[in-house]
Amino acid sequence: MRKKALLAVFTAGALAGGLLSTKAFAQVEGELSPEEEMKLVQEFNRMLAEGINPGEIWYEVGKEAIKKYNLDKCDLGLGPGVFKGAAAQLPRYFPDAKRVMDLETRVGWCLQQHAGMTQEQVLKFVRQCWGKSGNCVSEYDGIIMYLTMESNGYKINVNLRDPNVKRMYDIGKQIYYTRLGPWDFNCATCHAGKQEVRIRATRLWSMDRPGEVGKAVSIFPKYLVRWGLPMSMHYRYAECIRQMRWPEFIPHSDLGVALSTYLYGSANGTEINAPGIGR
Amino acid sequence: MKKVLILVGIASLLTGAVVEAQQRKAQSQRQQQPAVKHEEVIQVLKSGLSTDPRFAWKIEQDEAQRICSQYPSREEMPGQAIQKVIQLSQAEIRYPQWGIYMGDWKEGQKIVRTPRGGRFASYGFSDKPTDKGGNCYACHLIEKGVPGGTMGPNLYQYGKRWGITKENMNSPEAVEKIRAVYNIVYNSWSAFPCSSMPRFGYHGNLSPEDVANIVAFLLHPESPVNK
Repeated sequence: MRKKALLAVFTAGALAGGLLSTKAFAQVEGELSPEEEMKLVQEFNRMLAEGINPGEIWYEVGKEAIKKYNLDKCDLGLGPGVFKGAAAQLPRYFPDAKRVMDLETRVGWCLQQHAGMTQEQVLKFVRQCWGKSGNCVSEYDGIIMYLTMESNGYKINVNLRDPNVKRMYDIGKQIYYTRLGPWDFNCATCHAGKQEVRIRATRLWSMDRPGEVGKAVSIFPKYLVRWGLPMSMHYRYAECIRQMRWPEFIPHSDLGVALSTYLYGSANGTEINAPGIGR
Repeated sequence: MKKVLILVGIASLLTGAVVEAQQRKAQSQRQQQPAVKHEEVIQVLKSGLSTDPRFAWKIEQDEAQRICSQYPSREEMPGQAIQKVIQLSQAEIRYPQWGIYMGDWKEGQKIVRTPRGGRFASYGFSDKPTDKGGNCYACHLIEKGVPGGTMGPNLYQYGKRWGITKENMNSPEAVEKIRAVYNIVYNSWSAFPCSSMPRFGYHGNLSPEDVANIVAFLLHPESPVNK
């Protein structure tokens, strides 16, 4: 069953990748022509209708990568190698690292501890498919996909009673409203308000409309049809921050952790359902 | 860190009464104050952004931004804060060196349409640090039939709505209207404090001449906006 689905998914992925470029890994271009845009939307609708989510390929990639990089020793908070439901209780405070960490930051820490990577190497590993389109398959995206999907069906449960976690939640909340940069944006510029608004054709979720933050974060990593890869949360942060015209986001930083703590903390109670799919 | 704490401890013993009074005052203030210090927030924020010296200026928060960051929306801002932001913003408006004039709407259209400008990352993407643009369609509907966002108001027939015609476009009244729209595009917070709209001219994303051209695109009777 799974094999058949994977086969279908591979074909779909190749199609999606091929839409934008004939090269294997194209650099992402900022703008698409209306024809390309139309093709993408049609492709996206077809995948939705058929229940195909190419993002699931990365689950298998991640399963292999976890063995390869010794991540079965990685403790996400429920014990080394215990992954069922582990992502749902993140971010949390880790005494061994003396830091609140979200899933991606913790994986980065584990890669340093158990795979002998330096911080530099981890960042390179994380960003290997950033800005690329057309079936760039990264082991990192696989690992994040695998670990998240192991929590599918579990409800997000960030422990805000832990003062360390609560502190990051409060910092994240204030960052969410911090107007900064040459374009004066904050997160709330796009993701707040009762009224529903669009940026071009994209409908924006809002922190102020009940349930929407949960709906938004519980489907990450989210497969993007236009780039042919699953977008992890930290890649999402980097892309938001690029659009906000702030300097480039550094994955696994406390900024990322603070945002995750605020977003996932606000999404407590929502069932994880990865991967999502988007245009 | 510890030393500082000890020093503070000794100091507080010496001036016990004063400190106590201050603590009481601080406690009553704390109820309105956020749970974490502003400096701590900014520190965490900056720790997650590239330290490339070319972009360091982007994350120096100015006073108006600091005020706006305290309120989730303008409805919740006290009048005093609104006044302050307007005052700061109006003081910063600069005009082209030959004063207010109707710019070139065709040049304005180019800036309005391009999503580029200031949007730079080292991974992927062909944006350059020197690109400039307004990306106005992200938030506004402007020309008929061109898709746009709904975050900002619909600007279709904006010049018509201001009553600008071929006959009156050079009158003193029209120049004042051009100035009013110029002020909004140059520094939106001078008219709508803490608006979502970037202060394009204030930050130097666009030059005064660029802003004049955009205003012409919005107001000129021959611009497609007013057809």
